Amino acid sequence: MIHLIDIFKEFPPNTVALRGINLHIEAGEFVSIVGLSGSGKTTVVRLLIAEAKPTKGQIVVGGWDITKIKNSQVPCLRRQIGVVFQDFKLLNKKTVFENVAFALQVAGTVRSRINSIVPQVLEIVDLKDKANRYPQQLSGGEKQRVAIARALIHRPKVLLADEPTGNLDTINSKGIIDLLLKINEFGTTVVLVTHDKDIVNSLKKRVVTLDAGAVSQDQRVGKYVI
Amino acid sequence: MFILSLGRSLMFALQSFWRNFWLSLATIVIIFLTFLSINFLIGINAVSDSALAAVKDRVDISVYFKPEVQEVKISEIKSHLGAMPQVKDIVYKSPELNLKEFQERHKNDANIQETLKELEGNPLGGTLVIRAGQLADYPEVLKAVDNPAYADLIEEKNYEDHQLVITRINNISDNVRKGAIIISILFILIAILIVFNTVRIAIFTHQNEISIMKLVGASNWFIRAPFIFESIFSGIIGCLLALAVFYPLLSLVQPQLASFFNGANFDLVGYFNNHLVWIVGSQLVGIIILNFISSSAAIGRYLKV
Repeated sequence: MIHLIDIFKEFPPNTVALRGINLHIEAGEFVSIVGLSGSGKTTVVRLLIAEAKPTKGQIVVGGWDITKIKNSQVPCLRRQIGVVFQDFKLLNKKTVFENVAFALQVAGTVRSRINSIVPQVLEIVDLKDKANRYPQQLSGGEKQRVAIARALIHRPKVLLADEPTGNLDTINSKGIIDLLLKINEFGTTVVLVTHDKDIVNSLKKRVVTLDAGAVSQDQRVGKYVI
Repeated sequence: MFILSLGRSLMFALQSFWRNFWLSLATIVIIFLTFLSINFLIGINAVSDSALAAVKDRVDISVYFKPEVQEVKISEIKSHLGAMPQVKDIVYKSPELNLKEFQERHKNDANIQETLKELEGNPLGGTLVIRAGQLADYPEVLKAVDNPAYADLIEEKNYEDHQLVITRINNISDNVRKGAIIISILFILIAILIVFNTVRIAIFTHQNEISIMKLVGASNWFIRAPFIFESIFSGIIGCLLALAVFYPLLSLVQPQLASFFNGANFDLVGYFNNHLVWIVGSQLVGIIILNFISSSAAIGRYLKV
């Protein structure tokens, strides 16, 4: 599903963020990418959504070589990869329904289909009854669930979660991780970037550890070991 | 698909316009003030043009003939001068009419009335009142009147005074036009800078929104369009609001203008009514182009992948 082959990423003038990363993630896997701050976790996410381009190497997502992707093709890629971030990235002037529907509207989906799909996805994240609220009227956990609903709206094969529990308390964090596991059970490949030791250890899933821009450990059923 | 996206862009623009009400209002106020200033400038131009036209209209050359010159001879000269392309209008006033007008003008002056009674016959000759098409044509007409063949027939010409007036009016007219052009350019430059920066500020406040749009797979055109439409809405509202405020002000100023022109038929409201399509059309096209360029340039830097 995702193949990072000998990836290097340098930022001028002399910062090397990734040094020869080789990572292969199969369809339907749940992979946690862990590491200290500055180890290159977020750079991997940015490369996967084509927000940055590797200095060297090849990235293939779902059979699509995105290494030399054209700017005009980026929107199409981003509709195929769901992403959630620590800071939720919701549109504060739009309601929960509108935030989720927005991802379909930009893709040119007709209104009748939007009105049918959005409530279904909101039901999955348990926010159907808060569809008309604005983000500022929601808790942190609810905001992240809206972000997840938006990420799922295109039924992506891959869901990238960059520190999704970073701004949440323990109970809300558990709720979000349970939701990610549920999404993974439906067949979606989930890549979780985190530095939360307890969450990683409780998952009992594959753990890839980054250290100074390189893969230091890759365990099938791993633990957070740094 | 295109119609759907266009409709959505318009809807997002309207939503954003309403939900960012204070920012929209600030943009509208700036555009409103700019157009109000431009409308005032157009009004001042119209007033100065009309003032000049009124003065120019009153300029003529009167050629007073000696009493013994026969009407046939004057008609001959009239035909000759009237054939000149520079001459717009030439009127013959008979000695009898001149005497009647003279008596009317001095009806309260007993001495003049007494003197006229003592004189035998009409002491006044015929007159030709000549009007040229343009102020610049008068020197040519005056040259023709100065023909030596007419020298013995003409009692008096008033061209000396008119030459001075004509020169002065020409100078004033040129200066007013130059001043208006400079002020217009200045206003347009100020408007461009203000609108450009207002749109940039509006987009700067939306940069988080733009990054989210990109994140969910919006194309650059889809991101750009609502901002462009939103700024165009502001432009249209600002332009129409300026007219809505300007017209009542015109009606207030109109009576003062009429008295300033001493009863001359000058209607500023009528001027704006007659040129409304041109004024509104050019202002709308101008603000739409300006907002389109400003929005496109301002948003461009946020659209890089």
